[in-house]
Amino acid sequence: MPITMPSPWLADAAGRVLLWSLVTIGFYWGAKRLYRRWPRWWLSPLLVTPLLIGAIVLALHASYRDYIGGTRWLILLLGPATVAFAIPIYEQRGLIRRHWPVLLVGMVAGSLTAMLTSWGLATLVGLDGALRLSLLPRSMSTPFAMEVAGDIGGIPDLTAVFVVMTGIAGAAIGDLILARLSLRSALARGALFGVGAHGAGTARAHQIGATEGAVAGLVMVLVGLINVLCAPLLAALLR
Amino acid sequence: MSHHTPFNSAARIVRHSALWQAAVVGGFWLAGEAAVRVLGIPLPGGIVGLALVLGLLATRRVRLRSVRRGANLLLADMLLFFVPAVLAVLDHHELIGLLGLKILFVILLSTAAVMFVTAFTVDLCYRWRADHAHNHAEPLAR
Repeated sequence: MPITMPSPWLADAAGRVLLWSLVTIGFYWGAKRLYRRWPRWWLSPLLVTPLLIGAIVLALHASYRDYIGGTRWLILLLGPATVAFAIPIYEQRGLIRRHWPVLLVGMVAGSLTAMLTSWGLATLVGLDGALRLSLLPRSMSTPFAMEVAGDIGGIPDLTAVFVVMTGIAGAAIGDLILARLSLRSALARGALFGVGAHGAGTARAHQIGATEGAVAGLVMVLVGLINVLCAPLLAALLR
Repeated sequence: MSHHTPFNSAARIVRHSALWQAAVVGGFWLAGEAAVRVLGIPLPGGIVGLALVLGLLATRRVRLRSVRRGANLLLADMLLFFVPAVLAVLDHHELIGLLGLKILFVILLSTAAVMFVTAFTVDLCYRWRADHAHNHAEPLAR
């Protein structure tokens, strides 16, 4: 019996996964070390790594589809990472029970600011229609944001891109705000990341401190829930 | 029943390894996804998984030490999982140019405003409560 070779497609797919995964993990690891050495916002791993990989993808004349085909499993790990936030939230349950009214006020103020400033600034630079609506839910984590975008008449795919842009911007802006505002509580330090920059901000908050990370994780989830529940109301208001 | 057989110690090492625990957390995520699909819950599967784990921890059906290291492994490098998502921008050519700059402007200013307002509000409320409730206020400052 002849030895069956793996189909070229399969070998291709495996090669793609191996190549792009190694490139991604390798650059991320390097960028993280660089950031640990020189913690400047413009050296943030979430900014440096995609820029370098983007350059490689373009230089090799590979396409985005090739790249994403090889690294989809990394994006999928965002699911288990979301579940993992149950652990820091549970560990900080005493803190949360004591201070939930403060967090609630912060979440409502932050969500309103996100919607109002997005709408106002978009109008200011002449954006309108579905594009402007797609910008409104971008502070939330992707699944929530896409849900809300669909509800209010935006384009969920575009919102997903804006969510990611917000994540990169937010991780950097959060560092700048922390350096300038003297915030007394870990509560405020965590909440600004969770409300302003969803998972990417929460990941950054987790690096700053365990309490900050737990607060950011909780707030990220609750802001998403509150907004999904309020989306029909918002849609009615926008019509 | 003896707890010191080689099999038991090997099982304990596996149970306490970060990788195994991360896989357990991944299992809860799959359970969340399945629940969302089967029951038609209008929420992301990861959030349902999170609620499930929180519930199991609160009712002590899952011990903290049997998932904690795995959770930390997943959370420590969560930014890595965002990297491929960021490159999705490459697929949206319409965002390159003036339109992209306008959008960037909106995102940068709005995100700064959201973070400032949230941090300011939370800090203000926190201070107010700390000043008005001496009995159960516990300083949080580092």
